[in-house]
Amino acid sequence: MRLPRVEDIEKRLPRPEDFTARSRGPATTARVGSALGIAFGICFLTGLWSHAQYTTPGWLPIGPDPAWLYRVTQGTHVATGIASVPLLLVKLWSVYPRFFIRPPRARRDRLVDVLERASIGVLVAAAIFMLTSGLLNVVQWYPWEFSFRRTHEAVAWVAIGALLVHIAVKLPVIREGLGASVEDEATVDAEGPSRRAVLRGVTVASGVALVLTVGQTVPLLRRISVFGVRDGDGPQGLPVNRTARAAGATRAASDPAFTLKLKAGGRIVSVTRDELAKLPQRTHRLPIACVEGWSRNAVWTGVSVQDLVALVGAPSGSTVTVRSMQTRGAFRTSELPGNFVDDPRTLLALELNGEPLSLDHGYPCRIIAPNRPGVLQTKWVRELEVRT
Amino acid sequence: MRAVRLLLVLVGVGFGLWGVWLMRDFTSDQLISMGTWLVGGVILHDAVIAPVTVLLGVVAARVLPGRTYAVAAIAFLVWATLTVTVANVLSGQGGKPDNDTVLNRPYGLSWLILTAVVVIAALGMARFRPKTPHTSAAEGSPTNG
Repeated sequence: MRLPRVEDIEKRLPRPEDFTARSRGPATTARVGSALGIAFGICFLTGLWSHAQYTTPGWLPIGPDPAWLYRVTQGTHVATGIASVPLLLVKLWSVYPRFFIRPPRARRDRLVDVLERASIGVLVAAAIFMLTSGLLNVVQWYPWEFSFRRTHEAVAWVAIGALLVHIAVKLPVIREGLGASVEDEATVDAEGPSRRAVLRGVTVASGVALVLTVGQTVPLLRRISVFGVRDGDGPQGLPVNRTARAAGATRAASDPAFTLKLKAGGRIVSVTRDELAKLPQRTHRLPIACVEGWSRNAVWTGVSVQDLVALVGAPSGSTVTVRSMQTRGAFRTSELPGNFVDDPRTLLALELNGEPLSLDHGYPCRIIAPNRPGVLQTKWVRELEVRT
Repeated sequence: MRAVRLLLVLVGVGFGLWGVWLMRDFTSDQLISMGTWLVGGVILHDAVIAPVTVLLGVVAARVLPGRTYAVAAIAFLVWATLTVTVANVLSGQGGKPDNDTVLNRPYGLSWLILTAVVVIAALGMARFRPKTPHTSAAEGSPTNG
């Protein structure tokens, strides 16, 4: 028995013309691809926006208004990503035969071929990576060594870059595919599904995927979204993302001798929870909106951070650093920029939906501000430092 | 058109390079892990998911009569892509044991119901869909392999 040679293997591999499904073709690919391109564009822009909301660069006018903005942009980001999965799978299916096109013989053509395949390889790898890492992040499953946030961002730039190159290369084919009618002579009478049926199928799959998961963002669909990561309920009517135990905050947070430290310049003021409760209380209805796409409105009662800044004698409009009692995990401190501090709706909350905060919602006190990513709504606050 | 395409390529390459620049301080462990997931995804699709789908199509086209095959193919499209989409919640992974507000739904049961709904819808469509004339072969049967 001899080992098979390259030519033997090559003979056994299918050729593009072996794939005879009439539902494939540029008319199908261009339509599914356009939808996917738009979806990726939405994900990219809302994703960049989310990174901007995390870091609040000075040149971007991100403020507390409208309070629902991050809820909408991040809900859209995750929902669009989920709806993209069927689109990506059908898009790849529609061009799979092209994978088996044999490389050209002429050396000059070979270089172009290698470049084109490499750009498509990068695009496919990055696209699958983006959707997979996003889907695993929403269930808080991290079976990898890299930082999700930074890698999801870096690969997004690569994915969109490769997508733009791909559109440039394929522009004539795309225009032709979109210009032609969906079915042609060859597909009308053929057996197997029509192109129209495939397009309807992927539209249904995408739409159903959206409806069955988006309830954690759109309260109206809560009952229907049977594949939603959260059913929208939890202690005091609100889901929890990180428990006090997971954050290593239980002991400090349940200490009856707790005092909140307010710092400004050299001044330090200590306030007990009872004293906080005696300060003027405000009640506002504000959403918690997480990067994982879920969000929920709730009624919060507490002291305006603005009032606490005044209490320690600091000027209004100052940036405030918030420090948590949590001993594990990221985001133990957060920065409240001056424009958020100046908004009277930015609270150091003591109550949630009419009850004292439960431990998992940040007892004894937590930050809640309009239009901020959930992870910056610091729980178990032990210290506010006004930066003057 | 030529100018537009050139511009797209330039912007695209710029975006890609910026993405690579953002990885400049990743540790080698992080880069290896990222690379594994990037390459692994392509291999999983190109060498497993896609060939299995094609094979299923070949078998289904031989076993099922024409119009039933067409309905079955679309039902498979909807069912399979939805299954991949919700594989994250079906996996039983993720979440935290001390947090019952996350991943707190009977996803396996929902998936069984989804599967049943797709099957029933497909059976209904195969039964009531008007007959189409029988002309040529369907999904690829390799001629030289």
